[in-house]
Amino acid sequence: MRRIQSLINVSSATFRRNDAHNRAIVAAFREKQEAARSIRPARDLERLAKQKKMRPRERVEKLLDPGTPFLELSSLAANMAYGGDSPSASAIVGIGVVCGREVMIRADDPTVKGGAWYPLTAKKIVRALDIAMENRLPVVHLCDSAGGFLQLQSEVFPDKYMAGRIFRNQSLLSKMGVKQLALVMGHCTAGGAYIPALSDYNVIVRGTGAVFLGGPPLVRAATGEDVTVEELGGADMHTSVSGTCDYAAADEDEAIHIGREIVSQWDRPGKWKIQQDEPEDPAYDPAELYGIVPDDIKTSFDMREIIARIVDGSRFHEYQPHYGTTLVCGYANIWGYKVGILANNGVLFNDSSLKGAHFIELCNQNNTPLVFLQNITGYMIGREYERRGITKDGAKMIMAQSCSHVPKFTVMCNGSFGAGNYGMCGRAFDGRMLFSWPNHQIGVMGGDQAANTLAEVKLNQMKRNGGTVDEREIERLWQETRKAYQQQLSAYYATSELWDDGMIDPVDTRNALGIAISVSLNAPLGQPGYGVFRF
Amino acid sequence: MNSPLAPARTAGNTVPFRKILIANRGEIACRVIRTLNAMQIASVAIHHRVEANARHVRMADEAVEIAGETPIAAHLDANAIIAAARSVNADAIHPGYGFLSENAAFARAVADAGLTFIGPNAETIALMGDKISARSFAAAHGVPVAPSVMPTQDIDTFAQEAARIGFPLLIKAAAGGGGKGMSIVRSAAELADAARIAASEAQRYFGDGRVYAELYVERPRHIEVQVLGDGKGGAIHLFERECSVQRRFQKIIEEAPAANLPESACDEMCAAAVRLVSAANYQNAGTVEFILGADGRFFFLEMNTRLQVEHPVTEMITGLDLVRTQIEIAAGYGLPLTQDKVRRSGHAIECRICAEDPARDFLPETGVIQWLDVPAADYLRFENALDLKQRITTDFDPMLAKLVVHGPDRNTAIERSIKALNELTLLGVKTNADYLAAVLGHQAFRAGDLHTGFVAEHRSALLATAPSDVELDHTIIAAVLGFKEFDALAFETPEPFATIGPWRN
Amino acid sequence: MLLIDGQKHEVTVVRRRPQLVLRVNGRDHEVRGRSSPGVGRQALVIDGDSVEFVRAAAGESQFLRLYGRSVEVKLADVRATGANAGAAQDSIKAPMPGAIISVHKAVGETVSRGETVVTIESMKLQTALVSPRDGVIATIERTLGDSFEKDEVIVSLEPLAEEA
Repeated sequence: MRRIQSLINVSSATFRRNDAHNRAIVAAFREKQEAARSIRPARDLERLAKQKKMRPRERVEKLLDPGTPFLELSSLAANMAYGGDSPSASAIVGIGVVCGREVMIRADDPTVKGGAWYPLTAKKIVRALDIAMENRLPVVHLCDSAGGFLQLQSEVFPDKYMAGRIFRNQSLLSKMGVKQLALVMGHCTAGGAYIPALSDYNVIVRGTGAVFLGGPPLVRAATGEDVTVEELGGADMHTSVSGTCDYAAADEDEAIHIGREIVSQWDRPGKWKIQQDEPEDPAYDPAELYGIVPDDIKTSFDMREIIARIVDGSRFHEYQPHYGTTLVCGYANIWGYKVGILANNGVLFNDSSLKGAHFIELCNQNNTPLVFLQNITGYMIGREYERRGITKDGAKMIMAQSCSHVPKFTVMCNGSFGAGNYGMCGRAFDGRMLFSWPNHQIGVMGGDQAANTLAEVKLNQMKRNGGTVDEREIERLWQETRKAYQQQLSAYYATSELWDDGMIDPVDTRNALGIAISVSLNAPLGQPGYGVFRF
Repeated sequence: MNSPLAPARTAGNTVPFRKILIANRGEIACRVIRTLNAMQIASVAIHHRVEANARHVRMADEAVEIAGETPIAAHLDANAIIAAARSVNADAIHPGYGFLSENAAFARAVADAGLTFIGPNAETIALMGDKISARSFAAAHGVPVAPSVMPTQDIDTFAQEAARIGFPLLIKAAAGGGGKGMSIVRSAAELADAARIAASEAQRYFGDGRVYAELYVERPRHIEVQVLGDGKGGAIHLFERECSVQRRFQKIIEEAPAANLPESACDEMCAAAVRLVSAANYQNAGTVEFILGADGRFFFLEMNTRLQVEHPVTEMITGLDLVRTQIEIAAGYGLPLTQDKVRRSGHAIECRICAEDPARDFLPETGVIQWLDVPAADYLRFENALDLKQRITTDFDPMLAKLVVHGPDRNTAIERSIKALNELTLLGVKTNADYLAAVLGHQAFRAGDLHTGFVAEHRSALLATAPSDVELDHTIIAAVLGFKEFDALAFETPEPFATIGPWRN
Repeated sequence: MLLIDGQKHEVTVVRRRPQLVLRVNGRDHEVRGRSSPGVGRQALVIDGDSVEFVRAAAGESQFLRLYGRSVEVKLADVRATGANAGAAQDSIKAPMPGAIISVHKAVGETVSRGETVVTIESMKLQTALVSPRDGVIATIERTLGDSFEKDEVIVSLEPLAEEA
């Protein structure tokens, strides 16, 4: 494969301006992430230390094989919700290696409201288990949660994709033969009690671990019975009387040790074979990504420069390089895995949509996973394009993409607006993993356009009512709309709401995709086939 | 050099015995069987049930199990052993060393059973087995003995007389051996108490509370003379051995010839030894032990009426097979050669490899042999009966093997011994092998500056130095990768995880 | 965690590519080659030096000869390092109803883990009840011939002394 010849001048003023701009954005992201990971009220940390408990991240680190990566997902979930009271949505979720096996790790965070589940916590756990199901990834739960956050119970408890979905997913995972292990390192109360109960294996820490549907206060209130935590749901009771738990551990270290021994018993089912080469670092420094992405979202740039800093050896076999040029399509390898890449170099026209649909079909025919690099303002609009059938050409791309049986991965690189989001495998299209860069914006249209549209509507309303047009009122309305809209366009909002699987530093894209592709191959590829294409 | 086990002499065409039972185990049983094989004499091993599969049992043509509460008890059961010999129609019993080898009653019972005891008669054993009678006999035949006081019933009288010899004094048990019941007394004030303690210790160990006192020789060397007697007054010597390097009063390194020994002293000791053996009408190979003072004076210590552990060093320098010689003498063939035909060449060193921890005062160690690589060369013998997976217990003596090395001169023998000790790989139980190499490598040993306090004098210099940090780390790495789990952790991480490494996003 | 002569040593994997790097007691070492687990002569290249050694494994121990030393390296038992390890196992309970047929230890005697304290008979089957940990016998609740029910405490051990 030919190496992409970069046209970037790293000493140009533009490069340097972009670089400073994007490094500042990434620094702000890292700062927020660090705060979500480690800043907690002192009293919560003291309580944890008194109980001789580890912090959840220490637990994860000890569980993982030393010297191996951990791809943390959704580290900034809930960053714009609950007044910031639920950092990382009170849970750590990520993919790592335990005893040489790829696993999904999910840890409660007892340093936030006793590990209580907020609505977004439930959403994050459900998503983690969805990933486990889609990728046949064994799950290790590190349980330490007080249960649902009662003040918000209506958003945690009742609906289809709320907490109940966790237990439904656990059950189905087990049915699929995907192993689950729960290490009970704190309380598992109410619904949370079902996590260890529905895991194929579990370990409970003597003294601090407990599993029960209702804790001692609830029991006292309901039946008047006085009972201690240990009697009600402690390690010895559950491992010798009820059989709810399998192994008792003297402390968290031992629980992790036993847990690792259990994982080492698990079989290692073969992976789906796709084309693979020896991995090779990109020829161009990934850190140059900072100088390539423009400091203004409205400035266009060549996605090949991005591809050159993500793929093996910066090598790219471009498909139809001179047709439908606003969509760059081609083959490359990421960490050795052959992938088909679709990347936006402008608005999608009829030809670029058709080329995209065709390339997606080629990849499916070749069992080649798809990687979408989004920077899309939408499909082209206007009379000319509608007459040429832009809608039905876009529909072909959506059809091909939706019905793909190969794993799909999406990176939100700069902008994702309108129906382009759909064609390029947005969140709704069941990609195996979707990551956002911190500079990214997402919405049905850009902030200015949204404000214009709303102002236009308002103006027409005023005119119809025969009133005078108050320019200042229109201006105020425009500014207000734009501000509110802008906030929701931000990648922070998207990741807060779990519209993605996490915000990542652009230089981490290659590793994140490598891990995502690797785990995706645990699941069979499924049956190829499409619906009816409108020609 | 000549093979040490080459036939010493052909005694006509007759074989002296058809079948010999070896009342022993371990390396010495194996060593005796080798000679029996060479002489085309059938061999019979005995064993306790814990050693039913031991090397000496496998090597022997026949084996008989001896019942016993403990393995040692089985090897001390004279009646059962004689019954075993009769049951297999053996003609003779070779006792090896230790166990019943110097038990007069056993020798007598063997003879009474119509079998040949490969050793002296019971009377000679009894004479030499009692330190006091042995010493009197020696003195009577012009063999120097250390000034001493014989035991009396009255400890106080004993103390008074002992004080007359002068200090320091050594108090010993009359029936003793192996350092048990010995103590050094440096002033009159300590004497009575020391005598009482020694007496009670002697009573406990040997069932005989008699003790005697003799001049204590400072920085003494332990020199012994290998002798052969035909039982009719004919006797020769096969030169001396030096056995001064000892720990816990037991030899760990022996060599022949002794280093830096004036020829006159050597001649005098050998002559005295031959006199003693001849006077006793001694029949067998034997060893006369002397204490040699720094002033050149030497005193009779004791006589061992059996094959010594360290006999191979003499074999190495003389080319004789002492076990064969024992058998031929016992068969009445007489001495294998005359004194003027005895030649020696080069230097031989024996190292006793024991399951013990030199860092913890040589306390015995136990374990299971997990790996065994023994040194091999035409100039060395690695005398052992070790097997892979063999359990090393405290049932028997902690000696696991003997490394016996020959060289054209002492320095070469030392270098070859150190090299062989380094090559020896015996894993699963702690041994003194590296300690022995340290002794051999010590400049005082190389200089031949030896005395029985050598180990104590150089204690700190001889202890293993702590490994460097790098050596320690490398050792830990080599060890940890032996654990399957850790090997898998290090090498079986799937890609791309292994290459991505400890990355966090 | 490993033990040599009772000394603890930490060892962990730092990274695996391009070469394996192990951290031992805080010091990093590059390792090339892979030894075959188990017994025999082996060689690894550590920090660029060819390190030849003999290794034999037995249970939780590796026996090695290298750098002119013979060393036993033991795996530290993670279960014994926990703060409360075994603390809850202060008693020996009857696993099934039965009767005592022999008592091997007396109150005040020390026992080591796995040592038989009493033998019971139940359903024509003799079962040895062993000590769950090293300790001292505090009480023996039943004597020869006594019968008992399942889960009855037969023997209790002195509680472990508080760590100084």
